This record gives sequence, structure tokens and C-alpha cells, in this order.
Amino acid sequence: VGRVVDLEVDAVDATEARSQVERMCEQLLANPLIETYTIELEDAVTVEAS
Amino acid sequence: VTAERPVVAVVAFPGSNDDRDAQHALRLLGAEAPAVWHTEEELPRGTAAVVLPGGFSYGDYLRCGAIARFSPVMRAVAAFAADGGLVVGICNGFQVLTEAGLVPGALRPNASLSFVCRDVDLSVERADTPFTSRCAVGDRLRIPVKHGEGCWYADPELLAELEASNQIVLRYAHGENPNGAVGDVAGVVNEHGNVLGLMPHPEHAVDALLGSVDGAAVLGSLVDAARLSSAALV
Repeated sequence: VGRVVDLEVDAVDATEARSQVERMCEQLLANPLIETYTIELEDAVTVEAS
Repeated sequence: VTAERPVVAVVAFPGSNDDRDAQHALRLLGAEAPAVWHTEEELPRGTAAVVLPGGFSYGDYLRCGAIARFSPVMRAVAAFAADGGLVVGICNGFQVLTEAGLVPGALRPNASLSFVCRDVDLSVERADTPFTSRCAVGDRLRIPVKHGEGCWYADPELLAELEASNQIVLRYAHGENPNGAVGDVAGVVNEHGNVLGLMPHPEHAVDALLGSVDGAAVLGSLVDAARLSSAALV
């Protein structure tokens, strides 16, 4: 069954964001035995440290 | 608690709905069957076996069983299974076990894409497991199924491995496969043979008034094995 999941993640950069989402996919969002997934990163929002 | 009435813990997740039937069947077959809420981090003292019942844990959101796998009680169940403890997952419980990696394969939507609810004939493939000791190989058991996502799947390589290692315990009898499961697989054990997942509901087939008592062969075998393992602990 196909689905699209939109996520907002806190990460220092795109590499870290992608690796976080990959972990989520492997452990929860997809069952690798029966599902495949692709990850698309959208525009990052930079939050200034206060 | 005595070895005479072994403790078979029945886990309840939010959305479980066969937990009471499982408790009733296990008590009828001679076990103590305490309920264990999903937030528990430990199994009851003296637990000799665990049943994960059917239902719709956590509303079946995302995928059946995918969220229940992360509940606190599942850490205890996984540790219990790793120590050789007896675990049976029925229907949604089977889905939880596959998502947790405690039994092989995965459950997909039925090939018909429809919910199926009827009695099916099963063929016993192994009688040397703690879950089928009251059966003989080739016995036919009539037990109901009721599920929308019961199509057990393993890729050809995994299926061949499981066949070679004799991990298929129950199959739908010829012409009875209600969901398109590969290899007609209705029930499968883990590598060590102490964890069983099955789609049919033996807990609904323990009273002749409801059509069949064949489920007692499965759950009765479990109670026998639990009693033996309790006796070993005493």
C-alpha cells in the first residue's frame, strides 16, 4: 500500500536529516520485507540559535 | 501459582479484542491467564508462556502490528522469547511478531482485498513443536480466520529456507487458502521453535457450541508445554 509521509526533523544539516529519516524508515515507516521507500529532502528552514 | 496451572500471560494492547477469548480458552484448558497491559515493563511472576491476541493494536495505523512492536511490554516479550520462552501470536499478534522480527515473513493485505471471516481447514505440518504436541502430522484442524491483512509473505529465498529448516507448522489445506499466503502458510515458528505466529484463531474454537473444538489442540499443546516449563522452574 503506497503512502506519503511528510516529516519535519531537527538536524544540523541535510546529511544528518537524511540519516535520521532513513532510520525511521527502516525501523517503523516501512517494512523492508514488503515495502520500498524513497526520501526527498525539501527546503531547510534555518533556525538561529538564540 | 503451581505447575499444575501454568501462567500463560495474555498481552492487551489498545485495540486488542481477542484477549478475553484467549484468556477464557486458556483457563478452560487449565492455565492461569492473567492480562498484561501494554505499558507493563515486566511479565507476571512465573510466566511460562505469552499469548499476543488478535485485534487492531493501536488502530492498525501505519501497518498492522508496526506500532505495538514499540510498546513497553514488547521489550519484555522479546527478552522472554530470547531466553527460550514460549510465545504465540494470533492474527494481530502474528502481525506484531513479524514486525518485531520474532517470526519470519510479513503479513500483507488479503489477495482478495476483502476482509475474510470463516472457518478454514488447516493441515498440521509438524507435531514436534510446543504448539502442536497434541496433534499428529497430517491432522486437519477446522479453525476460524477473520482478517483483512493475513496474506503471509516471504520471498522465494526466505520461503525455501523456512521449508528447509521445517519452520512451517500449519498450512491452509488444499483449496482453503483464504488470503493468498505464499506456500499456503497459516502458521510459522522462529528458528529456535519457541515462538509461533498464526493467522487462524484457536481461541475461538474451544467450545463445540461454537462449531469446533480443534483450537484446543493448539492452545492445549501450549498449556502442556507451559506446564512442563513451569515444572522445570519449580
